[in-house]
Amino acid sequence: MMGKSGLLAVMGWRNLWRNPRRTGLILVAVGIGVWSTLSFTALLQAWSASSLQTALIDMTGQGQIHARGYLDNPGVAHRMAPPRASLKALLKRPEVQQWASRVRVPAAIQSAYETLPVSLIGIDPAREQGLSFIATAVSAGQPLASADSPGILLGRELARRLRIKVGQRIVLMSQDANGALAERGFKVNGLFSATRQAEKRYVFVGIRQAQSMLGIGQSITGIAFNLHNINHLSRFLGQLRQVVPKLDVQSWETLRPVAKAVSQLSNSFILMWIFIIFVLMALGIVNTLLMSLHERVRELALLQALGLRPNLIFTQVMMESALVVLLGVVLGMVLAAVTVLAFHNGLNLGFLARGSEWLGAGQVLYPRLNISQFLGIGALIWVLGFTASLLPAWRIVHRVPIEAINRSPS
Amino acid sequence: MNDNALQAIVSCRHLNKQYGQGEMAVHALQDVDLDIRAGEFVSLSGPSGSGKTTLLNHLGGLDRPTSGEVTVAGHRLSELDKGELADLRLNKIGFVFQAFNLIPVLSAYENVEFILQLQGEHARQRRARSGEMLAEVGLQGLGERRPGQLSGGQQQRVAIARAMASTPAIVFADEPTANLDTAAMDELLALMSRLNKSRGMTFCIASHDPRVIEYTLRQVRMRDGRIEVDERA
Repeated sequence: MMGKSGLLAVMGWRNLWRNPRRTGLILVAVGIGVWSTLSFTALLQAWSASSLQTALIDMTGQGQIHARGYLDNPGVAHRMAPPRASLKALLKRPEVQQWASRVRVPAAIQSAYETLPVSLIGIDPAREQGLSFIATAVSAGQPLASADSPGILLGRELARRLRIKVGQRIVLMSQDANGALAERGFKVNGLFSATRQAEKRYVFVGIRQAQSMLGIGQSITGIAFNLHNINHLSRFLGQLRQVVPKLDVQSWETLRPVAKAVSQLSNSFILMWIFIIFVLMALGIVNTLLMSLHERVRELALLQALGLRPNLIFTQVMMESALVVLLGVVLGMVLAAVTVLAFHNGLNLGFLARGSEWLGAGQVLYPRLNISQFLGIGALIWVLGFTASLLPAWRIVHRVPIEAINRSPS
Repeated sequence: MNDNALQAIVSCRHLNKQYGQGEMAVHALQDVDLDIRAGEFVSLSGPSGSGKTTLLNHLGGLDRPTSGEVTVAGHRLSELDKGELADLRLNKIGFVFQAFNLIPVLSAYENVEFILQLQGEHARQRRARSGEMLAEVGLQGLGERRPGQLSGGQQQRVAIARAMASTPAIVFADEPTANLDTAAMDELLALMSRLNKSRGMTFCIASHDPRVIEYTLRQVRMRDGRIEVDERA
């Protein structure tokens, strides 16, 4: 049995199609609003995720452990002992995806043509798998085979500036443990491709070669690690700090504040976009609803004359609004789903060339929206659209004089 | 309250309606007293601006007087709030207006059912009663049509069917024949007259058309917001 609300819903639905063009305009406006919000959110999240990923694999990891003072003055003076059993036990727990000890100090590299400042990074290549870009970035020559490998890896940009090719030799200079100049010749094992900054800045050698050159024995300058689930990072950092209270344990958010800012910025952009959409949509809905209701003043007066209480007339008007906004939201969600699915395999920003790198993201973005975001944003815009209808509906319903029934038809 | 008022379905005492103030004031109703008893077939006539529609609106609870009192089925309208007035109109009063009587998005059946639905009738009873009412006004077979698919006379008959459906104490009709041709007008008046005689329905019709007035059994003639003549045929 159809009750009063059923009757009002039927009337609301049919009223929508009395002026298909006007209803169509609202549908399009709301649909575009929802589509743009969802698509924009998916794109921003892809940008944010890409920026984070770029930051993490850029020798950062989700977290790092250093001797105190190293982050302010990264040199061998602030080295630390290799991880002890208690720290190793923690780093070998199942939630840790990968960890690696590193030696990283400022250095200078010299070829026959040029001397340039670099960041010398001693690595154990096997441990960098899944932790940093260098594990997969060698695009010419050979990667380092082990922690003892005698060669060096240069970025393509650095090699271009030094005018060096694979197989040629360079000299690396840095300050050793005693404060004296340490220098060693290396044969270029391979060239890597990465971000322009990484290609210019980093040189990689086996960690034992670095320790030997710098005269620091088994010491290291830091440990980087990744967890399987980044959401557990905060808890894990707390456990690390308990095990190594004298060391400096930091998350990627502290180490790469720009990446954190990008993440926060994308959330702010999403909120700002929703606000803009809400304002535009609200203006459209209020204007259209008022036009529609003003044209139906006599009909609203008739409903009152027949004994429909004002609150039921208000309910009917709100049902109309809720229905049209709901249809618009569904339309927008379908369009957004199609858009996101269309770029499921990645949106290539190659046309921006290095611009995408400047934005902190990789060249390919992967727009994604989970179902809760999808439904949540759709529901939020529906509620906002519904809310925007409240005032005009209330005003018109409470201001329509019942005597309007006697007005001449226009 | 005198005997007439006690027996009346609708009555008004010292009814005044003033629009505007001071020198610009228009006295649409001036000290009007009227009683309408059950089963009466009353016309309110008079020239344009005489106050017949204003009086009808006040008697039907569509407007509030400047002073005076209207009583409908024992309820003093001045004591009712907006919602209670709506309930009174729903349950005690039927309306037939000059035009734009029907809800355009509902079929003839649904327009008649509308009132019953608001009154909380069950679906089966609503459907049966709507069909009965439409048949009574000679519109069987046209129930699924929307107002735009009906002629003016048919629309007015649907409005009468709707007014009858809730068995109101009185039906107020404001110029119900104004937009109809002669044949449709005669049919409508004959219908109202028949319903008055056969079902004892009380009608109060505001009209300036002499042919409408001839049909009614009591003629109330107005001029300048006052009742000038009140006579029974």
